[in-house]
Amino acid sequence: MRVVHYLNQFFGGIGAEEHAGTPFEVRAGAVGPGKLLEPLLSDGAQVVMTVVCGDNYAVEHQQELTAAVVKKVREIDANLFVAGPCFDAGRYGMAAGALCSAVQLQLGIPAITAMSEENPGVNLYRDALYIVDSGVSVAKMRDVLLKMANLGKKLVGNETVGLPHEEGYWRRGLLRDQLADKKAGTRLVDMLLAKVNGEPFESEMLPTAFEPIPMPAAVKDLSKAKVMLITDGGLVPKGNPDRIEGTAATRWGSYSIEGRSDLQGEEYEVSHGGYDTRFVQEDPDRLVPLDAMREMEKRGIIGKLHNEFISTCGRSNPLSNTRRLGREMAEKIKQEGVDAVILTST
Amino acid sequence: MVRLKIAAMELTLAHHPITEIQFGSQARLNGTVLVVDPEELRRVVLEDESILSTDFEIVRPGESCRAGPVFDIIEPRAKAPGSSPDFPGILGPPTTAGSGTTHVLDGAAVSVLAERGPGESRGATGRFLEMSGVAAEATEYSSLQHLVVIFHTRAGLPIQTIEKAYRKAGLKVAVHVASAALNQVPASIHRFEPVGPMEEGRAGLPRVAYIGQIFSRQRKPAVDEPILYRANTDGMLPVLLHPDEWLDGAIVPSLHSWIGGTETYYYQNHPVIMELYRRHHARELNFVGTVATIAGSDNFDRERNCRTAANLVRWALKAHSAVLTKYGGGLPHADLAETARLLEGMGIKTAVMVSDTSRDRRVESALLFNFPEVNAIVYNGGNGTEWEVPRVERIIAATPDMRQLLAGPLVAEASNIIGVTNQQGASRLRAIVY
Repeated sequence: MRVVHYLNQFFGGIGAEEHAGTPFEVRAGAVGPGKLLEPLLSDGAQVVMTVVCGDNYAVEHQQELTAAVVKKVREIDANLFVAGPCFDAGRYGMAAGALCSAVQLQLGIPAITAMSEENPGVNLYRDALYIVDSGVSVAKMRDVLLKMANLGKKLVGNETVGLPHEEGYWRRGLLRDQLADKKAGTRLVDMLLAKVNGEPFESEMLPTAFEPIPMPAAVKDLSKAKVMLITDGGLVPKGNPDRIEGTAATRWGSYSIEGRSDLQGEEYEVSHGGYDTRFVQEDPDRLVPLDAMREMEKRGIIGKLHNEFISTCGRSNPLSNTRRLGREMAEKIKQEGVDAVILTST
Repeated sequence: MVRLKIAAMELTLAHHPITEIQFGSQARLNGTVLVVDPEELRRVVLEDESILSTDFEIVRPGESCRAGPVFDIIEPRAKAPGSSPDFPGILGPPTTAGSGTTHVLDGAAVSVLAERGPGESRGATGRFLEMSGVAAEATEYSSLQHLVVIFHTRAGLPIQTIEKAYRKAGLKVAVHVASAALNQVPASIHRFEPVGPMEEGRAGLPRVAYIGQIFSRQRKPAVDEPILYRANTDGMLPVLLHPDEWLDGAIVPSLHSWIGGTETYYYQNHPVIMELYRRHHARELNFVGTVATIAGSDNFDRERNCRTAANLVRWALKAHSAVLTKYGGGLPHADLAETARLLEGMGIKTAVMVSDTSRDRRVESALLFNFPEVNAIVYNGGNGTEWEVPRVERIIAATPDMRQLLAGPLVAEASNIIGVTNQQGASRLRAIVY
């Protein structure tokens, strides 16, 4: 196994905070903690190169450092990238996270780092990486390196990685399937009885706490506002020109309603596999209420209806995807000077 | 005062284990060998004028065989004379299911294929029966002796008519096949202990109810779509059912559920109800009854249904706790969670079972609700599993096109192998958070 190791200026032996501005340097072989890591990886594993960089330099020149490190790791043909452990050093953790995820993404080789819970790198990179829990005590260096080595070996060998508490990494918030010994019905009753009897039980899924979204400021004067209709109900012109998928759509489209005051079923179709679309097919205004909006436009309740509506399909659409769709739509409507949007769903 | 003794609902299952199915000219049960007469079954099936012809195939566990798309799987069961009817409402009058004796052909199944796949968005092949290999190990169906039935329907019929014909004819075949056991001595007899809110002698045990969704009104049912005692759930409010009604033919999947993880077989062998019964017999809990409900099509429906279901559990069943399962796709998660939240607010503890919605395999996309009190969740997996299933020796399908699609090797998602992502509690595939 050929390993490239990343260390900050302190663990790389250059010095403490006063050397945090030191540019990165590349050294052959293992340095500091790397010398401890090598035997723990066993099977003749070698730290073939160590990159050392000052913490401030790493944060201030992240792009440059990342590009250089990815290039070096590629050239030296490593099969594992290790950064840290970083303990609670924030800048070190941020650099380690950025480098590990870049190496993993661009080179397709596993990368591993270690941080304490307080390290801001944990929340930023935990979903992308296996980050071992290092705690805050440098005295535990050997224990932490052992966990990193074990995990690293499994990743390189493409072995099944155990659960966070078994392997000692921070929960990534990802899912994988597994065949359980018991049927779901039995697990359900087991869990209920444990809950009723006040015994500990482990829910198979965790609730997600989302950041609250602040209420936007009210539209000052609706009678002067440009309003737009957006739907996730999958209404598209006949033929579905943007090929919007009926499940977990990755695309959206924007369609002209210029000069129209009523949508005709024969001109549209519905790309959505999650609801009974017959009623929308019969009269698309039931999903995209153009007729009602034109009426409001005529009566001066709204200033103007934007000349396009946006449509996508919300069915079974994961957040990692819908965030992007939302951002793209928001960019467009901002550019086009829309003041308010009505979202219709199914 | 005269006290009327009302006969307790008590279902008796007479078990006949089946180790082999054979074709023969006279239907009978020879020990554990079931002989079926295709000609006789054809006569039964062709009573329905939508069906032009029928093919039967016998499939054994471990065989290099694949059959699909599967419309439904039914356990062959037949009611003894003097009992409640077979599939009341569909094959008999809509009187209460669950009384008398039901003869069960254990280890056998009648598997009804559809002539067409459900369409691209559900996988062109639909769900298929896989009898050997790694994928087969993830479903109990691969361990059964199957009588596979293909109904060829008249051209030009609307899809609801076709599916309704599949439903009724499939049930008829299953009952007819099982009737061979009626005059036989069963290998074992199982009597369920009485359950209900009034049962005595169980003081101190947790009173547990089951709330199960039996339909999701994401789709409006066909006018004559049989679901609950043949009612199509239009205008339905949550309703109290005795657990034996679920097991004994009161409920069948909706006509479209062949794309969503509910089969007649697991109503007959309902994994949640059977587990509650097992614990009831072991005196670990007091199974007080069940509520059948539906997922609403809008918030108005949802509000009304969830409150009614919770009220029945609290006031009619006087339960301390409840387990809940869902039906169908994404929307029913909302009804499930809202009902659990209302129950928790009444001091009734809950555990819920949901299907996998996380297509990006991230926890943040996994739940369609976020109530801190709904904290006991069984999570069926599926979105992270696919198998490369090999070419097999025998393909059973209604058309040459479908046989070609199913021939393999092909990549099958977990939800394409029937039984793997079942939503009635039979699935062993779960998601693990890491």
